[in-house]
Amino acid sequence: MPLYLPIAELSMNIFLVVAMGGAVGFLSGMFGVGGGFLMTPLLMFAGVPPTVAVATGANQLTAASVSGAMAHWRRGGVDLKMGLVLTAGGAVGAFVGAFLFKLLRAAGQVDLMISLAYVLFLGAVGGLMFVESVRAILRARAGTPPPMKPREERHKAWIHKLPWKMRFKKSRLYISALLPLGIGFVVGILSSIMGVGGGFIMVPAMIYLLGMPTGVVIGTSLFQIIFVTALTTIFHSVNTQTVDIPLAILLLIGAVTGAQIGAKVGMKLKPEQMRALLALIVLLVGLRMAVDLVIEPAELYSISDMDGAEERP
Amino acid sequence: MKRWLGLLALLALTAPASALVTDISERRIEIRYSFNGADLILFGAVGSTVLGSDTSGIDIVVVVRGPEAPTKLRRKERVAGIWVNHGSLTLPSAPGYYAVAANRHLADIATPEIFTASGIGFSNLRLAYAGGPGKAEAAPEFLKALKRLRAEDGLLREELDVVKIIGEGLFRTNVRLPANAPVGQYQVDAFVFQEGRLQARNRIDMTVDKEGFERAVYSFAHEWPFFYGLTAVVIALLAGWVAALVGRR
Repeated sequence: MPLYLPIAELSMNIFLVVAMGGAVGFLSGMFGVGGGFLMTPLLMFAGVPPTVAVATGANQLTAASVSGAMAHWRRGGVDLKMGLVLTAGGAVGAFVGAFLFKLLRAAGQVDLMISLAYVLFLGAVGGLMFVESVRAILRARAGTPPPMKPREERHKAWIHKLPWKMRFKKSRLYISALLPLGIGFVVGILSSIMGVGGGFIMVPAMIYLLGMPTGVVIGTSLFQIIFVTALTTIFHSVNTQTVDIPLAILLLIGAVTGAQIGAKVGMKLKPEQMRALLALIVLLVGLRMAVDLVIEPAELYSISDMDGAEERP
Repeated sequence: MKRWLGLLALLALTAPASALVTDISERRIEIRYSFNGADLILFGAVGSTVLGSDTSGIDIVVVVRGPEAPTKLRRKERVAGIWVNHGSLTLPSAPGYYAVAANRHLADIATPEIFTASGIGFSNLRLAYAGGPGKAEAAPEFLKALKRLRAEDGLLREELDVVKIIGEGLFRTNVRLPANAPVGQYQVDAFVFQEGRLQARNRIDMTVDKEGFERAVYSFAHEWPFFYGLTAVVIALLAGWVAALVGRR
């Protein structure tokens, strides 16, 4: 059953779109990730203009993170104060990112920026995750326990020198507000130029840089993602009119259903195996995007309106 | 169908009896939109000529031209190993849609020179481009690409739609408008040829406005972008909330 997507300006099969949402939802439920870094590339591979894929992907993520954050909230897994500081940084980042997005779109280079950002981040994060998980698997086989650092040593000296210290009771931290603001800012930029929640950057940063207890990391990052993706959606709507609501609705129907199934399957897998598998998927998506940049495209020309809107990829 | 026949009969009766020029005396345009576009239904009648009511051996060419808009073409080039939008050509004004329909092959109706002189056919539009003489060398490649891209999108249709001559100088044609056809002012030009010579031409202005759900979403997004974004967020929040409630059970 074809549906004309009014903003993406192409007809797509409704069931195909729901299935795409379902597949990404399944993976995100299984691995406990947002899935934006899979959804946006998948939409681009399916022929949706990259700008629409990014903006609509961000919109769809709001829904995914609300249900996740609510579950963590109920069991006390959200540090509200930390979440708000991260959101403040994220709001500024999303605004800057959306502005950059608009400028590059007018210059005809936004698709390139999106692809480069994906290749860079998916390559780096996928590579690090893969190495780490393979080590963990090898350690588990050898039977040696993972090295533990005492909590006091988690912070580097320069972190204690930063001004504007704030107390975060739930995370049992007394650190500079600049750190979560900075992390939020970076994640906000990524959200608006890549259509991702940014959990893959934020979660490691919260654990290793801030030294937050793992129990509140996921819930707090999801809390931030709700607001930042919501702001990203509004910024893109206002700046470039690239949010496709019908597309987002179809995707989230699939994603929400897929996530429930994925979560059940995920419980049966060992964490380090799951991380290795996710790392492989991330690397594959990054590789595919890199290949698209390097091989000669079938069509070298494209038409754009004068405001820079790409009519065709 | 009965309705059309009735209308045609009416047209035949009301066609000017002693007009000096052949023209399209009546027309009816109807656009029905669905997910995959619309058909532009066009009727016309060729009136009597000074030579009498000799409408035998006439050929009809209909040109539908969409709203003019500044258009930018970009070309990818390999820069440092990756393909990047590099060159571009700006057309200050180009039709967003262009279709030529005829009752038979254009080549059989008249010579290319005649079509060039009367500006029939996308290649005969002589589109202006910005950039001066430096751009002139690259322009043909860009214009070829424009033709190709527009044709792929269904926005350039040359000789894909057929004009049907029903008889007595009456004709009808269905011209395909894809779902991505731009809205705005369209011009429908009808040309009457007889024995390879252009006998008469007539222009109708019409406005194409899309209706339906898709169009409503598009208009909402472009006219009220802030509230559109807000709506998108509210929908996503509600969906997430409902999913959380369902997932809890």
